[in-house]
Amino acid sequence: MAKLVVNQSKVGNMQELISICPFGALEEINGELQINAACKMCKLCVKKGPAGAIEYVEETKEEINKSLWKGIAVYVDHIDGNIHPVTYELIGKAKELAEKINHPVYAVMVGSGISKQCHEILHYGVDKVFVYDDEKLDRFKIEPYTAVFEDFVKSIMPTAILVGATPVGRQLAPRLAARLKTGLTADCTKLEINENTDLVQIRPAFGGNIMAQILTPNNRPQMATVRYKVMDAPKRNQEEAGEIVKCSIESEKLNCKVEVIDIIPKEKEQFIEAADVLVVAGRGIKKEEDLAMIKELADLLGGQMACTRPMSEAGWVEAKRQVGLSGRTVRPKLIITCGVSGAIQFVAGMNNSEQIIAINKDEHAPIFKTAHYGLVGDLYEIIPNLIEQIKAGREA
Amino acid sequence: MNILVCIKQVPETNKVEVDPVTGVLKRNGVDSKMNPYDLYAIETALRVREKTGGTITVITMGPPQAAGVIREAFAMGADEGVLISDRKFGGADVLATSYTLAQGIKKTGDFELILCGKQTTDGDTAQVGPEVSEWLNIPSVSNVCKIIDIEENSISVEMDMTDDIEIAKVEYPCLLAVDKDIFMPRLPSYTRKINTKDKQITVMSLDDMEDKDEKHYGLNGSPTQVQRIFPPSVNAHREMWAGSNSELTTQLLNKLKEMKFA
Amino acid sequence: MDYKKLDNEDLKYIIDLVKDADRVLYGENINEEYSHDELSDTTSYPDVVVKVTSTEEVSEIMKYAYENNIPVTPRGSGTGLVGASVAIEHGIMIDTSLMNHFLELDEENLTLTVEPGVLLMEISAYVEERDLFYPPDPGEKSATIGGNISTNAGGMRAVKYGVTRDYVRGLEVVLPDGRIVEFGGKVVKNSTGYAMKDLMVGSEGTLGIITKAILKLIPLPKKAISLLIPFPTLEQAIGTVPLIVKSKSIPTAIEFMQREVIIDAEQYLGKKFPDNSSDAYLLLKFDGNSTEEIERAYDSVAKICQEQGAIDILISDTTEREESIWKARGAFLEAIKGSTTYMDEVDVVVPRSSVNEMVEYIHNLYKEVNIRIKSFGHAGDGNLHAYVLKDDLSEEEWEEKMTLAMDKIYNKARELEGQVSGEHGIGYAKKSYLMKSLDPAHVELMLGIKKAFDPKNILNPHKVCQL
Repeated sequence: MAKLVVNQSKVGNMQELISICPFGALEEINGELQINAACKMCKLCVKKGPAGAIEYVEETKEEINKSLWKGIAVYVDHIDGNIHPVTYELIGKAKELAEKINHPVYAVMVGSGISKQCHEILHYGVDKVFVYDDEKLDRFKIEPYTAVFEDFVKSIMPTAILVGATPVGRQLAPRLAARLKTGLTADCTKLEINENTDLVQIRPAFGGNIMAQILTPNNRPQMATVRYKVMDAPKRNQEEAGEIVKCSIESEKLNCKVEVIDIIPKEKEQFIEAADVLVVAGRGIKKEEDLAMIKELADLLGGQMACTRPMSEAGWVEAKRQVGLSGRTVRPKLIITCGVSGAIQFVAGMNNSEQIIAINKDEHAPIFKTAHYGLVGDLYEIIPNLIEQIKAGREA
Repeated sequence: MNILVCIKQVPETNKVEVDPVTGVLKRNGVDSKMNPYDLYAIETALRVREKTGGTITVITMGPPQAAGVIREAFAMGADEGVLISDRKFGGADVLATSYTLAQGIKKTGDFELILCGKQTTDGDTAQVGPEVSEWLNIPSVSNVCKIIDIEENSISVEMDMTDDIEIAKVEYPCLLAVDKDIFMPRLPSYTRKINTKDKQITVMSLDDMEDKDEKHYGLNGSPTQVQRIFPPSVNAHREMWAGSNSELTTQLLNKLKEMKFA
Repeated sequence: MDYKKLDNEDLKYIIDLVKDADRVLYGENINEEYSHDELSDTTSYPDVVVKVTSTEEVSEIMKYAYENNIPVTPRGSGTGLVGASVAIEHGIMIDTSLMNHFLELDEENLTLTVEPGVLLMEISAYVEERDLFYPPDPGEKSATIGGNISTNAGGMRAVKYGVTRDYVRGLEVVLPDGRIVEFGGKVVKNSTGYAMKDLMVGSEGTLGIITKAILKLIPLPKKAISLLIPFPTLEQAIGTVPLIVKSKSIPTAIEFMQREVIIDAEQYLGKKFPDNSSDAYLLLKFDGNSTEEIERAYDSVAKICQEQGAIDILISDTTEREESIWKARGAFLEAIKGSTTYMDEVDVVVPRSSVNEMVEYIHNLYKEVNIRIKSFGHAGDGNLHAYVLKDDLSEEEWEEKMTLAMDKIYNKARELEGQVSGEHGIGYAKKSYLMKSLDPAHVELMLGIKKAFDPKNILNPHKVCQL
């Protein structure tokens, strides 16, 4: 039990102390200093206020026996047996963490008719794959999936569980965490582990404007979700290694109140604002036909084509694909500008993109002031070459 | 239908900074507003009520000033408001927050439909909704981008699963976390604001909860602990590449691979 | 007019003068965009474009042009709508966009000294970061301040704060013969002779080239709240405006908009507007130092709107809400442009008490002329933007109907004691309408002023008052 206690006699200048709290949680009521519900327990008043004015009183909690919890488990994210690549990235991270504390790496796969697909996991160097294969588990439904995962945790007792921050993972992980009454840290960008098996979780908050380092010191398992393309996947081994463990639970635990009626492929995002990757055609594109290669590159990178104002004014590209002040503001993960000079009008619509790569012949083009990577070269050679090499890499 | 919407008061801007000396968020003088994602949940509730009739209750946990977001919900068309406020709830992480909300919801009434926004702009976790559903032992569906059908005992929705759209039918009572843009949220109405300015807001503290054990709330009920906060490293890196076109292509391909785009 | 055609020797002189080949464009290197501005179909290439970087450079070029009788056209971002920055007589174009430095922020006098190529959006970002405010707010944020001063740009905050002229304290100007003069300064009051600074503002590059401007700043209001007010009819919406103007609380902006333009903007942006259920809307913005202060200010206005039959009064008080409304408002011009093949615009301004009559007249004109006309505008300052749309009309039909519509609108504006242009200027495209509306004595004075500044008529010929 922890709480803040105010010692009125030591408060001194009350207004000074009140001004310390960034959340406005200290107030004067009937001449006494009180803490209200705005308190976030940041303890700044304890650290910066007059000594002893506000005390942080903690009764020691009963400590759990961490050594009873062993192994790092990864949830295998899949739809109908097609494994989401974030799974391998998490396995890569889990192996690295497990090695440090000398624990095994587990994978948990839940679904229907997946006895073949689960073997794929064994190519990535896990110790055991726990497989729950049941007709009732054919597609993700929150209640039965939570039930089997709970079953796994209660029997195996892993110290940490990593889940991909996919639409499925972001539902399953919190549901499970609440059931296990344990901590869960969302969207970790960095994970490390202490020798006492405490998982050090680092995540952004406030839209990425601050980073927080978080521990789950007295609860097990420790749970974290991680986004796709944050961690590195290990190389696939030719040989299988490790063991498949078939598991099951009572059928009535698999009942649920959600019925999945259909899964249909999503139409490709129509709006450039929603795209993760944008390839932008600028004035360096000489003919309308040449837009085909920009489109092709965008497709290969899983993104959208966008354009600058002259391109849309010439009628070559629809106005809704125009980036800039008089067009749309975009903030993709990656933007590649091709033959874009970088007028302020354009830059103001894209300069918050996470990675900016610019290709332009003119080394003085203003776009290079904005780009993280600037290529002084001919897009008519670079783009077709790149397309060819990406394709060749896929076929290999 | 009895509809409940969970809302939260957040800082007006998330352009916050970390005080380099104390390591605490600098937020003096920052105005508050309703979490923008919650506006979509309220709008969804209003659209559902247009079809089914019933009442919309909003619930929030926070300091006394958080009553402001309840008043705003009234001005958008909500019927009732509940404020869960007690300093003993301070320092709550996702688990403790969701537990407190669930306790408050249980005390407030029975709801067929509980709506949440996708996430908040301060915490950014998108976890509170699903955890609330667990405490209430009801099904939940996230990423709801469309309501297809509202029936007597269930609601059918589309879920945005990134590459796919999943169509699901969920029995009441249930919790839906709605996506941004499911509906364009309406603006609060001045007329309603004036008409509801004296409307009663129910305030709840720990003493009103069924579970009064302090250990389950606030900092004490939170398994996770923030050890430190720090500013993110900014991508101020700039680099110019020169070389033949084929060298540049290779360099670009390698960079795309490193960034995991190719 | 007999000008010297720019030849290789002139070109060589200019290149030698500038000493930076990258900043002198000629022949093929002159990009197509230098031949026109944002809207008008006036097209003409300069012979050479010089991207100047200093007052001295401008002065030297003007001296040479003056001696050799070569026409000169100044240009900023080229975002004008009436062809003022098009080089009708070819010759030299002086592009000021590289003169884009902030020279001084004087916090004691609350002034900002800038070069003419600084963009409007850069100014607002620069001063607002320092809790200061440059109020003029034209829709086109990538325009240069030089261009804004040259047209006396107005924008959306004019109701409360006035227009660009009210925020220009002093100017450094290069005269057509190359001499450098300063008009005005940091002083707040000035009764020192003719108001030369005010004459320069709005002169559309015909009297001199602005090379430095001292702008007046005010403290930044901490908070802004908008009210979006749906009305059953346009008549009711517009009819309310004079009552709002008369009331004691002053919004920074009073805009009106109709559903069809809102829907164009929704399509253009791919984003829904917070409300499109009514035919007509007023959009009011209030600023102040706290939410409470602003709420007190708008309360009486809200009551007036209720009395006038407003369906509701919707409050926009957060960044997201403000963006969803004002981003759409800012996109109206582009959205309307995107909804047709070609268009022409009017930018008339009438006394505020007549704004309802003017709006209704334009609104009903399409029936008379049988052509699509869309309008929106600054109802609070009487400045209306109406766009006549070509759609799939043939060239002849378009020419005929457009001219008819324009004539009718300008006639009506005259009848209501209005003016030809509120904020876009006269430039090349609107001269005939200006001539019709002005007393000959007035035109004579303008021509005399032009002659006093530019006896050889080399600076931006054919603009404003020169037929």
